[in-house]
Parts: sequence; C-alpha cells; structure tokens
Amino acid sequence: MAQAVAIIGTGQTECGKRFDVSYPELIREAVTRAFEDAGIGPEDVDAVVAGSMPPAMEGVNNPHLYWASAMGACGKPLMRTATCGSTGISLAHTGFYHVASGMFDTVLVVGGEKMNEGDPQGTMATVADPFFQRPFLAGAPGIFSLQSNEWAHRYGIEEKRVRMAAARISVRNHDAALSNPYAHIRIKTTVEDVLNARVIAYPVRLLDVCPASDGACAVIMASEEKAKKLGRDQAWIKGVGYCGEQAFFGEGDKVVWKSAINAAKSAYDQARISNPRKELDVAEVYNPFTFQEMLFYECFGFCDFGKGCELVEQGVVMPGGELPCDPSGGVLCTNPIGATGLQRVSEVVLQITERAGDRQVPGAKTGLAHAMGGLDQFNGIMIISTEL
Amino acid sequence: MMPSRVAIVDFVQTKHSGHLAENVQELTFGVVKKLMDRVGIDRSEIGTMISSSADYWQGISCSNSYYYDSAGGNLKSGSKVGEDSAFALIYGMMRILSGHYRTALLVAVTKCSECPSEHTLTNLSADPFFQRPVGVNGLSVAGLQARQYVHRYSPPVDAAARVVVKNRSNAAKNPYAHVRSTVSLDDVLSSPPIAAPLRHLEVPVTSDGACALLLADEQTARELCDDPVLIEGVGWSVDRSFIGDRDLLKGALPKAAAMAYGKAGIGDPGKEIHVAEISETSSYHELLWSEGLGLCKPGEGWRLATEGISSLEGALPINPSGGLFGANPQVARGLVRVGEAYLQVRGQAGDHQVPNVGKALAHSVHGLGGQSHSVVILGH
Repeated sequence: MAQAVAIIGTGQTECGKRFDVSYPELIREAVTRAFEDAGIGPEDVDAVVAGSMPPAMEGVNNPHLYWASAMGACGKPLMRTATCGSTGISLAHTGFYHVASGMFDTVLVVGGEKMNEGDPQGTMATVADPFFQRPFLAGAPGIFSLQSNEWAHRYGIEEKRVRMAAARISVRNHDAALSNPYAHIRIKTTVEDVLNARVIAYPVRLLDVCPASDGACAVIMASEEKAKKLGRDQAWIKGVGYCGEQAFFGEGDKVVWKSAINAAKSAYDQARISNPRKELDVAEVYNPFTFQEMLFYECFGFCDFGKGCELVEQGVVMPGGELPCDPSGGVLCTNPIGATGLQRVSEVVLQITERAGDRQVPGAKTGLAHAMGGLDQFNGIMIISTEL
Repeated sequence: MMPSRVAIVDFVQTKHSGHLAENVQELTFGVVKKLMDRVGIDRSEIGTMISSSADYWQGISCSNSYYYDSAGGNLKSGSKVGEDSAFALIYGMMRILSGHYRTALLVAVTKCSECPSEHTLTNLSADPFFQRPVGVNGLSVAGLQARQYVHRYSPPVDAAARVVVKNRSNAAKNPYAHVRSTVSLDDVLSSPPIAAPLRHLEVPVTSDGACALLLADEQTARELCDDPVLIEGVGWSVDRSFIGDRDLLKGALPKAAAMAYGKAGIGDPGKEIHVAEISETSSYHELLWSEGLGLCKPGEGWRLATEGISSLEGALPINPSGGLFGANPQVARGLVRVGEAYLQVRGQAGDHQVPNVGKALAHSVHGLGGQSHSVVILGH
C-alpha cells in the first residue's frame, strides 16, 4: 500500500481575537513553531499545502497566495485544499497523499482562519443553496440543532438526560481548555451554568456552542526514510478516511450518519482497528456543538447507536476514562475553522508523543483526529499512532 | 501495490458560454453523467472524487458543498482543490499513486456570469493594506507585466496582437469554445487601450463552463479504454505574495516547468513538446508563459507568434483549442487545458487537431501576475 507517512513537527498559535497580528503574521507564527518543533527549516520542505474556510471569511481572495511568503513557500509547489469545516482534516489528508504517493519527502501543511476580520455567520449562511435551504437554515447553529433534536427523538432519549450529558461535555471541554495554552475560551463553567445559558437555537445554548476564533496550525509530514533520518519517527499516520454526502440536508439520515460512519470505517480498516473504544487511547472529536459529539461517538463505533449519553454518564469519554475525548478543550473552546481539523491532528500528535503538558492523557499511543463540514455533509478522520 | 503510472481514460466538457442556463449542480451532473456513460461505468467504479472550484468564483461559501453529490461524490471519499483545477489532476494522481484508489473522478466548474466582475474579484486577491487600495487587480498587473515585457525585450508592436488573431481563429474551429468569431490584426490593434499596452481585445472575456475527467492507474485505464493517455510529468510552483517583491518577467513558472520536465524526462521542451495548451490570461502572457515554459529563449516568445511557429500549422502549435480567448471559465480553465491536451494526444481534437502529437503540455495559472503556475505533460 501507500508509503508510510510520519508527522515530524506541529505548531499552533494562541487563539482568540488576534488583533495583534495580520493574517500572514498569524500564519507565520504557526509555521515558525512547526519548524522549531521538527528541527528543520523552510529550505528542507519539498512542498506546501494550505487552506482555510471560504475566503469571504477574511475578505481576501486566494488566501494561500497571500500567505505564500509567510509560509516560506516561495519557489515550492503550493496547493490549496478547502472543504468547509472539514478543511483542516482535508489539509492533513492532502499532505498525507503528497508523501504517500512517493512524490515528496517533506511537506508543510498549514491551516488558518482569522474569523474576527469578517462576519462568520454571514459567510456560513451562504453555504446553503440560495433557493431552498438558505431562507431557513441560515448560519451554523440551525442545522446542528435540528440534527440534535432528530437524534434525541429517534432514540426516545429524555430531554433532561440529553441536556445533562451535553452540559457535562461542555464542562469537561471548558475545564480541559484551561490546561491548553492555545485555547480561545478559557473560563470555568459548571453544569448549572450550561443548563441556564441563553438559548441560541433550541436545544443549543450559549455554552453548547464554539466561539469564532483567530488562529493557525501547521504540521510537517515526512516519508519513513526522512523521519528516521531526522530521528522524528514517533508519530505515524495509520489511516485516513473521508466521506461526503448530499447537498440537501433533508435527503440524508443525519442520525445514523453515513458520512461519519464511512469515514471512520475507512480509517479503521487502514489502521486495522476493529474495536475503536479499546484500541484508541484518545480522540479529538470535532464538536462545535456539544450535542453533536454524542452522535459522533455512535457513528465512530465507540458505543452502540442511541447509547451516546451513556459514555458521558459512565465517564468513558471523560478524563481518566477508557477513551478520553477532547483533552485539548476541543472545538467547543477554540474554532479558527480552517485550522481546526489540523489542530485535532496536532493535538493527537502531542498526546501520543507525550508532549501535551497539563492536558496529557497518560500512556496514549494511538489517537483519532476528526473534522466535519459542509451542510452536515462531510466527515474526515485520521488515525495516528506511535507504531509504524 | 502502488502503481507507477497514472493515465487519463476520458474527458468531457460543456459547450462553454458567456451565460449557461444550467445551475452549478446541473452542469456538474451533466459532465459527470456523460463521462461515465461514455466510459461505460457506473458510480461503483469511481474510487474518489476530487473537484475544483472557488467560493468567490461561485458566489457561494464552501463551493463544493453545493455540488458534491451532483458531481458524483455522494458517499465517496473526496476533496476540493481551490483556484486552479489542474491541481485536481495532480491531487487525483497522488491519490492513485498511493495505492488507495484505482480511479479518480475529477470535476471542475465555474459560472463567471453569476459572479461580480473579475476585476473586483482579483482586486480582492491583493493584500488589503498596500496593494488593494491602489487598484491592483488581475488586469492592472497584466498591464504592468506587458509594459515591462515591451520595455525589456522590444518586441514588434503587433506581436502580442497576433496571439489574439491566432487563438480566436483556432477557437472558431473548436465546437466547445465560447467565443467563436474571428478578428483581424487591425481589429485588435485598433481596439481601445484597457491597461496599456494591453488593448481591449487582448484580454479574454470570462465564461461559464464545466468539465470532468477520469483518471485511473495504468492497468485499470487499459481495461477501461483502448488508448489511455499517460501523465508523464507534473510540476507546480508559487511566487512571493507582493508583486513588488518579484521580477514579473521571471516568476515561478520555470520552476514548475523544470519539475514537470524532470519527471517526464524532457531535456529540450521546444523540440520534444508537440503541442501546448497555455492559460494565456492576456495576449502578452502567451509570449511570457511560453518563455517561462522553456519553449523558446527568454525574450523571444514574440517570435513564436510573428514567425507562425505557434499557429495551428506551425512547428509548435500553442492553444489549438483557442485557449482562454476561446473560453475562460476562471477555475475550470486549468482542467480544460489538460483535457484539450489529452484530446490532442488521443488524436480526437477534431478540426483543431495537430497532426502526430506524441507529447502535449497543459499549463495553468492563478494569482496576480501569475503567482502560481502548474504544468502537466501528457504522452503515450
């Protein structure tokens, strides 16, 4: 099969309202850190992959070209990948195929977003087609609240129970973000706070929703030979999976969600994982909305369908549990969208190489990184492990 | 098993136009359905779908969300590459070379008729602080570049205009072209200046269009068609973000070309390439890009036009399809160039066929003044 691909360096910026830097300066911050981490320089890179959300987010067309100098990409092959919310994981996949194809030895992968430059909800409102869906699906919370309600209704899960489980996820992520120096929202919350927060789009409340962040992330990938030569052979990409589905929200089942199920299955098959709950040590699940995370647990095979709440109630996905999720604080606390999926990859790498600091999951060897995008339409997975 | 070579099985394009009535979903569905019917496969035989479009050039955020299913990708693995659809070919090729997929469906679409003017959108490509306020856009940079070309190389005054006459005449032979009327040298030279020294007729209009192309590993390709066309080399490169930081007559193209030629084993492109489809974003750009591609010496691109070398009957025909003067669907045009090069190698280009094509080159460009270039070499 494909050539083995290692992740030899990662770099993240502090996220939040980054009015102290321009867009290219923000990118440069992440790229510089990734080079420092890998112990190489721009001259050692054979190709660059870059991407973000719709360029209207920042009002700059061709953002990758705007970043070119800041990434040290000049004179090198540069390709832009963009798949909405799943952009970060699609970038990681594009970088993976650059190396897995045998075409390049060392590839820099960069994702970024400066959402406070523009109008994020305005930009995202135009993801929906202009004729049928846009008039009532405007913005991101709308579709996710519909999905959450459908999920709870399908399995007859009591409203009180769903809200409590979602609130515990919110508290878990907010607590974790306090240990992540790159996180945007760093506040102490309680279950009561979440349950009493104002409604954004029922059942989603303010503390169930991610922020709009400025931030960037860079990851450096290398071939087996290169990684071993550099002595950076501790994180290997074992599986990649991606699946997209219909443009019209109403045409697909968003509870037994095929794109999420298929993406995970492809990645597990490649990584030879048959029991993800046992074989994974950590998962960074893309959760801009708390409720949706439980649906992902089911689609990724962490539990049976309809049993997502139990994983929270039994502590399986909580700190110290069998499969701790989102030790970084996750998307819920930090969401510079073009970088977000790549941050999941970066965080899994930090976990399995035991460099996650105060948010370290003890003994983590294999992890899952995930991102979701489109109109509840795209899901992408990457499995990363210490074992080649 | 990782395959060593990737081939093109088939290519389909719309009849490009200034305004196509079909929406983006209908356009992508149309080209994909026609492609699969012609190859004789159904969706179960599609491994992965890579598309190319751009949000500003579609007037819709996350542009591939809108057509992922209509482009044949439903419940399949896929991705989208931005701005230059020739990258879809390169990414699809990588996915096949990795051994993960046997086939890759590539789809590109742009409807310029539904976008703001290209001058507005390319002005947004300029950084917001220094370049944008002074009116930097695709056209004004092309004018600066043409001015520099004239200043440095002193070509005959009608050299660039001959590119327009040639390409418009070629486009008249291409049933898929948008602009199919011919112009005389006098028409071009008497058209009003638009970004001096560029005149109105020296800049292509924009178009609506879509195309689809099927890639497969060499063995699978031979099962799917009699005469697959091999990808012999690909190369791409990017230049600095600020136009003032660059030599606008050199740029990233020689690096992109060297990478592609290195892979294809081409030492003397001017002799070994039999036909080239070049994204000539203006008349002067065809001269400049020909030089960057090494099809002639630097500063001598104009000779290809004045000596008839680049004409349909010449020694090295450039843009037999009519190039961007024939059809210019901004993002889709890169994959259209690849498709036209494919038709030339296959001998299926019809009235604009160049005889005995062994190797064909497709070039694409995006970004101000050609910040990013890609080069694809096809052969048997």
